[in-house]
Amino acid sequence: MVLSVIAIGARTAVIVPDAIERVPIAAQFTRYALLDRGSYEHAAAEVPARLVALASEVTGRALAVTEARVLRLVPGDYLLAHHDRVHEDLPIELIADLSPAPVAGAEVHYRRRGQVFFRVPCTPGAVSIVERGPTVTCNHTYVSKLSPPGAEVVRLVVLLR
Amino acid sequence: MARVFDRALSWDEAALAAAWRAAEPFPHVVIDDFVAGVDLVELLEVEPVEQYQADIYIFDATAPEPASAELRELRAEWAATLSPVLSRVTGVAVTRADMRAFAYRPGHYLLPHADHQDGLARELAFAYYLPTPEPPRGGELELFRVTPDATESARVIAPLPHRLVVFDVSDVSLHQVREVLGGLRLSLAGWFYP
Repeated sequence: MVLSVIAIGARTAVIVPDAIERVPIAAQFTRYALLDRGSYEHAAAEVPARLVALASEVTGRALAVTEARVLRLVPGDYLLAHHDRVHEDLPIELIADLSPAPVAGAEVHYRRRGQVFFRVPCTPGAVSIVERGPTVTCNHTYVSKLSPPGAEVVRLVVLLR
Repeated sequence: MARVFDRALSWDEAALAAAWRAAEPFPHVVIDDFVAGVDLVELLEVEPVEQYQADIYIFDATAPEPASAELRELRAEWAATLSPVLSRVTGVAVTRADMRAFAYRPGHYLLPHADHQDGLARELAFAYYLPTPEPPRGGELELFRVTPDATESARVIAPLPHRLVVFDVSDVSLHQVREVLGGLRLSLAGWFYP
């Protein structure tokens, strides 16, 4: 089932709940260390074919993976908007939430000309599908150190064209 | 007018200037027991406060331009008293300042950034910490050393009441306010300009 969320700012901006099982990630993570842009860990990732099929179904476009990586954020981590990059074309960004448990306040924010138009809360198993473009940027909000012990946000981020 | 902050007129400027020049990771000074002659918390009770939120911060603060005559007067007095002293201590000529009051509550933060922006002419940044009903846990000012490959924590400054911190504004004066984990962190902060 596709839970469609109306969002002014992109032609496609939807969240699909329970779209992927919560699988443990065995990736070799590297910490990003330029703190005025972001604080997080990242790793290369394989993308399940059914996620590509899901993105194609939702958007009505024939899509293939052009980039993919897994991000892991623990309390104190974040990715700022100016760490994101602008896309001159209109790729699709799919984010599969592989977190072990929901983390309150840990969201992905999509912005158009700086204004947030679409918020993706941390919901394990959910997949968000958003059309990017020249005016759309994205940030991953700060994960509070007041989160419960062991809090961890894991996101498979895939760019499709 | 020079009644509130005239303690600044008796600072050991030579010692402060030496501390400024020697400070790592970028020029700054920490001045303790800088007690104002008025109840600033009471003064701020008449100033409207709103929540500000972006990807890099969340906090409660007064507007960039004070609404009350009291805060505008305080800002003018702050600039008039401190500008000459800080100009001599830092070697950076400043004459005016802006000022906002900030309240960081649990979960509030200001992530790593540098204050320099083209066209704004910010020369010196300041933060003056006020006493609060419940001292903050967290909320430290953290200064970073910038290298091509990483940013490293270089100094952590606790937001103690009546502590004034002044630091250089440049592309590399990277700093943050660590997340407040409890209590309330109150401060006056802003920049000095030429």
